[in-house]
Amino acid sequence: MNKRLLQNIFKLFFLLIVFLLQLESATAQQEKTISGIIIDAKTKEPIVGAVVAVRGTTIGVATTEKGVFSLKVKKLPAILVVSTVGYESQRINAYGTESLNISLKESVSRLDEVVITGYSTQERKSISGSIVTLNTKDALKDLPTAGINQLLQGKATGVQVLSNSGVPGGGITFRVRGSNSINAANEPLYIVDGVFISSSDPIRTGLGQQAASNPLSDINPSDIENLVILKDANATAIYGSLGANGVIIITTKRGKLNTKARIDLNISHGWSTAINKFKVTTGPETATLANEALLNTAIDNGLSPSSVTYLFPDPSKAPTYDRTDDLFRVAATTNYEVSAQGGTAKSTYYVGFGYLKQESIVKPSDFERYSARINYDNNLTDKLKVGTSLNLSRTWRNVSSNDNNPKGVINSALFVRSYLPVYNADGSYARYGSFDNHIALIDHLDNNAIGWRAIGNIFAEYTILPELKFRSNWSVDNNDVSENNYASTLISAGIATNGAADAYDTKNIVYTSEQVLTYIKSFGTNNKHSINALVGNTLNTVQQQYLSASGTGFATNDLKDISVAATRSGSSSRSESKLVSFFGKASYTYDSKYTIDGSLRADGSSKFGKNKRWGYFPSAGLTWNASKESFIRDLGLFNELKFRASAGYSGNQNGIGSYAALGLWSAGYNYVETAGTAPSQLANPDLTWETTRQIDIGTEFSVFNNRINIDIDYYNKYTTDLLLNVPVPYRSGFSSYLQNYGSVSNKGVEFALQTVNVKTTDFNWTTDFNISVNKNRIEKLASDISLGASGRNISILRQGYAVNSFQLYKQLYVDPQTGNAVYEDVNNDGKITSADRQIVGNALPKFTGGFTNEITYKNFSLNVFFYFQQGNKIMNMNDFFMVHGGTQNNIGFLPRQLERWQKPGDVTDIPRLTTYSGDPTVNGGSANNYGGNVASLSSRYLEDASFIRLKNITLGYTIPESITSKWHISKLRANISASNLLTFTNYKGLDPEVSSQGGNQNTAGYDWATVPQPRTIQVGLNVTF
Amino acid sequence: MKKSYKYIAAIYLIAIGLSFTSCENYLSESPSDAIPSENAITDAGTARAAIIGAYDAVQGYYASNYPTLGTITADNVVFNGTLSQYLQLDQNSIPTDNAITVPAYQGIYKAINSANAVIATVGTIKDPLLTEIEKNKILGEAYFIRALGYFDLARGWGGVQLQLKPTSDLGALKGIKRSTLSATYDQVLADLVQAETLLPEDATTRNRAQKSTVRALRARLHLYREQWTDAEDYATQVIANTTKYALVKPYKTFFTSPFLSAESVFELTFSSNDKNSFWNLWYPSTVGGQFTLKPSNSLVAKLNDVQIGGTRNTVIAGTGATVYGVLYNTISSSTDPSYVIRIAELYLIRAEARAKKATPDLPGAISDLNLVRARADVPAFAGTTQAEVIQAIEDENSLEFAFESHRWFDLVRTKRVGDVLGVANTNFWLFPLPYSDILSDPDVTQNPGY
Repeated sequence: MNKRLLQNIFKLFFLLIVFLLQLESATAQQEKTISGIIIDAKTKEPIVGAVVAVRGTTIGVATTEKGVFSLKVKKLPAILVVSTVGYESQRINAYGTESLNISLKESVSRLDEVVITGYSTQERKSISGSIVTLNTKDALKDLPTAGINQLLQGKATGVQVLSNSGVPGGGITFRVRGSNSINAANEPLYIVDGVFISSSDPIRTGLGQQAASNPLSDINPSDIENLVILKDANATAIYGSLGANGVIIITTKRGKLNTKARIDLNISHGWSTAINKFKVTTGPETATLANEALLNTAIDNGLSPSSVTYLFPDPSKAPTYDRTDDLFRVAATTNYEVSAQGGTAKSTYYVGFGYLKQESIVKPSDFERYSARINYDNNLTDKLKVGTSLNLSRTWRNVSSNDNNPKGVINSALFVRSYLPVYNADGSYARYGSFDNHIALIDHLDNNAIGWRAIGNIFAEYTILPELKFRSNWSVDNNDVSENNYASTLISAGIATNGAADAYDTKNIVYTSEQVLTYIKSFGTNNKHSINALVGNTLNTVQQQYLSASGTGFATNDLKDISVAATRSGSSSRSESKLVSFFGKASYTYDSKYTIDGSLRADGSSKFGKNKRWGYFPSAGLTWNASKESFIRDLGLFNELKFRASAGYSGNQNGIGSYAALGLWSAGYNYVETAGTAPSQLANPDLTWETTRQIDIGTEFSVFNNRINIDIDYYNKYTTDLLLNVPVPYRSGFSSYLQNYGSVSNKGVEFALQTVNVKTTDFNWTTDFNISVNKNRIEKLASDISLGASGRNISILRQGYAVNSFQLYKQLYVDPQTGNAVYEDVNNDGKITSADRQIVGNALPKFTGGFTNEITYKNFSLNVFFYFQQGNKIMNMNDFFMVHGGTQNNIGFLPRQLERWQKPGDVTDIPRLTTYSGDPTVNGGSANNYGGNVASLSSRYLEDASFIRLKNITLGYTIPESITSKWHISKLRANISASNLLTFTNYKGLDPEVSSQGGNQNTAGYDWATVPQPRTIQVGLNVTF
Repeated sequence: MKKSYKYIAAIYLIAIGLSFTSCENYLSESPSDAIPSENAITDAGTARAAIIGAYDAVQGYYASNYPTLGTITADNVVFNGTLSQYLQLDQNSIPTDNAITVPAYQGIYKAINSANAVIATVGTIKDPLLTEIEKNKILGEAYFIRALGYFDLARGWGGVQLQLKPTSDLGALKGIKRSTLSATYDQVLADLVQAETLLPEDATTRNRAQKSTVRALRARLHLYREQWTDAEDYATQVIANTTKYALVKPYKTFFTSPFLSAESVFELTFSSNDKNSFWNLWYPSTVGGQFTLKPSNSLVAKLNDVQIGGTRNTVIAGTGATVYGVLYNTISSSTDPSYVIRIAELYLIRAEARAKKATPDLPGAISDLNLVRARADVPAFAGTTQAEVIQAIEDENSLEFAFESHRWFDLVRTKRVGDVLGVANTNFWLFPLPYSDILSDPDVTQNPGY
């Protein structure tokens, strides 16, 4: 598609609008007033803040404190649509002759809900895209997590959420309908009140490939009203190049017009402990194993057993020093929140303040957050509304390195041999091999990351005509993290240099300007025809700035600033990218039964080559609201029945460098204090959008008087022109070349079931069950790309397999006669070489899901939530290192090593201990037991990590209003909850919910000295004044 | 009313029309830490920067990877850490994706690519600030760096693919197959011949290539190719430059700050802004290191024997189980140089060439050998037969360059790996080519046995 064609399409959009406007104005008449009162059908109480809108226009008002409303229309009769949260919306014909008395019934239906979609809101029944809406009910908030995205685990279909570790505020993996991309980003687009926010991790303190932070944990989940997940192409195409990985629209709480001030107070305290703790072999066991390895090695080398000198001739004399117990603590969580909301006839407000402090169960990391929010809207005139949303937060993390880092806290406690003392004879910290002393780290690690996050927008909405509204929105997300790390002479990192200090300042800033013109119109007899259309554009700029400084050589450990270091150095860099987008979307509904819609978006990105900078992303959808058909209604079976189908394209440009298309020589390749340059990137003027095509077919229906609601979706995604770092021969001087090459597909089925099992005045029981199946496959790739685990290349990307596959030597068995491991000789050449590595599993679950039961009895409520995932594997790197057969002199053993083969006839999967280094190609030879070509890259360390977990159970009690009203409290709720109370898994490591190499999306599924998920008991109190 | 929205719509349309034309400018972004490839070498400033960048690439592979490949693979240094790539090298069972051989191979070709860019472009620069003398110097340095790169590839991996043009697009890579070892060494020689004519010589420069640096590498090349008279000849040319080079005493002088001692023919300088933390792999964690590379017990015994090691025992420290190497020792500043060629090597090259040439010059060989021994306060060599002399030179090389990238390559070139290290399978005397190259390059073939 060329530029001219695009221009023409946009012209058409405008001409259509102009044409419709003319139709309208031809019939313009004198304005008429309609007024009335809205009441609850059951209690007959007035409903405050209900929205009364004139159908087919953008006119709407909210009811006052007394439940009354009054509005002006151009012609009569008019159709009023009355809606408010928790009630079925109603349609009334108003003739303007008398004051209306409208009673609303409590809502049981879902299709009448108004749903936020890209840039607008629509009734659910006319939406053809796949969209999940979640209200942050109390149940969602009872989990003690800092990030809202973490709370979605098991709550929505098509969304896979995994915490990378149990560190509070730490990184998470979040995927909507699988991974589309290999080198570009797989993160969804997060939009908070219209602000496109940055989801890149700004923390730069090295954490052994772990993602240090979840950028969404800067937002207090309690400030959030609801959350919408746009999954399919029709829903996301309006976000074009930003929408391929799904869109999460977060709407924060706002006050309602004409409501009294409401003050909410939340207090909760929690206590977390480790579910399992690391166990290592005792001193005597370690000595026995070490001796056995020495003896076996001597035998393999043809030496006499008497030539062996043992470290502990009598292993039982070896002492035992427990280190791993020192790591854990009962970690406290403290949360205080206060908020106020309300509104006058013209304006509304919400202000909230929160404080959260969360300790990690593994010392010494902590997370602390202060958050403040101000949302304010003012109707300046009948036509002009202005408003702002502002989130300010300050976070603090004591960043502690674990995972793939020998100087990490867990590593230093876990890996050191247990017969070695923790302290030297003189009382100083003892250190062994590559490891630090864990107590030294716990007591003296001094890494502070302070984040300041400002997410804000100002907007204006102008109602040009009843049907036509213009909205202008200007927003910024400023994520600024400054880190100050000091390694004193008491920890290994600071010993050599007499103290070492590092400081980083990272700014990720996103500016967005957005102009949208919305047109909503109904016409014809009984207004059978409805049109909902919009056009708009956005300008989006992403800036990144880095500043770093380091200093070494400090007079004493009390001096920590780089300014007083003996040697200092610093560096800074910055980058900027821009995106220009134009979009349009229109839907037409006939008789509330059939909806057809389409959208088109054009994006130009500064990241791409001049030749192919613009991408065009169309989509289309169909909806059939069958429950409106008389023949369906006559069946008497369905309360609701809706079918929808959609197809479309969306693009991706996130995750690649700002200047990825340019041929570059970078500076900074210096020598002898002289500035140097060197080739750093090959030019690719044809670099362009990674494009995802998606087809979605879905149905939503309710039966048995809305007691059973079912949503089913099938989708088929195909991503082409992957932005792929294609490996190139090293003789080019480069290692890879970013080009559009390769394809990935994701196919899946999503099923959600909601049932109302019991519904009486006193007793209610509802069940939510959801399950999502996704099948990922790399359809096309230039060549295998292997990576992960510090160059051990355990993870692999290979055509025909899913991303996040593991390649290892497959251990078939341990020969009961020799005790040597036998591996599968894939190419049958009789030797074990690197060609015999094969794909033996995958880190992606086959399916994930959640199962929630909510029971309320009188004032009690009980919420029980299970999360499950099945079919994913974890590479247990702790086993890899600590079931080493004697090859690692400085590393102890895990108890699994005790299961080793010892004598002929032993049947086990742990081979005979030896460090023999004979011919590394012999299969079934002792060289490959732990060393050799296999080098422990064996499937024996890969484990199934499927699990079912009682993620949360919460018991709440609301004190009867008759009592609280005496205290001038309108609601008082107390609750107690437990998280991760039960876990059912075959995984032998501490916790199956880990991904220690989560800093890279292609190295998922490693457990490597990682902080496990904690078990938490929490009590809380909610007070509303 | 009717007019107003038409007006708005019209403005919007015009705005969109305008924005398409101005978008292209709006969407043009360029970095502030890099320059477009086509402007990379255009004048005196960029030419100087480009050759500096080539040196930086040499630093890149010599800082730790290449010295590791030359040491832990042999008998002086053993694995003592946790990282399995070092264990693989120590056990001489090196997978094709070993995390030391791969970045070393990659780093060498980076240096070659930079050198190729300089060779291809600098000659055509028309900038009055770039004199012919300086142009020649820059070109000479580029030829030297390319020669060093191919030499280091050849002795580690065998004959390799010869890239002689800078890579501007991937199409230019097609069809270049691996050359034989001999052809690769021929290319090294051709570049050294060029470099020798182009480069200057002064009395002090040791961290950039000069005529003597080229001659020293050429002496080593001839030694590897068993061209004994040429090796002797070029070694002599360097040794003869006595105003510039001398065996410094005591032994530890050359690895004690300030560096760039008279011992150095070519050493790569690091600084506090350009760090080399190779010491970290040698020092125990009690002093902040990782202790992955550890002197073997047999080496420690030899170094501590005054009759054998002499004052060279200053290259180790510590006692008992924590004896560690201190050749790289700037633990507080991480500024250790990489020692590429020392004058002691030229004496030993000449000694070996004299001992092995068609008409052996044993007294000459012994005299050179004794100069190196005397510097370390080791008694003069007492043997007489040719075999004894050759063995003594091999042993001397092993101790003199215990932690520099010599031992493995010396054993390979003298075909003694099987006898000394017990690695009988000659396939494993060469490192494997990187796994990813085998996958991505249709023109490459793997070394046999991998």
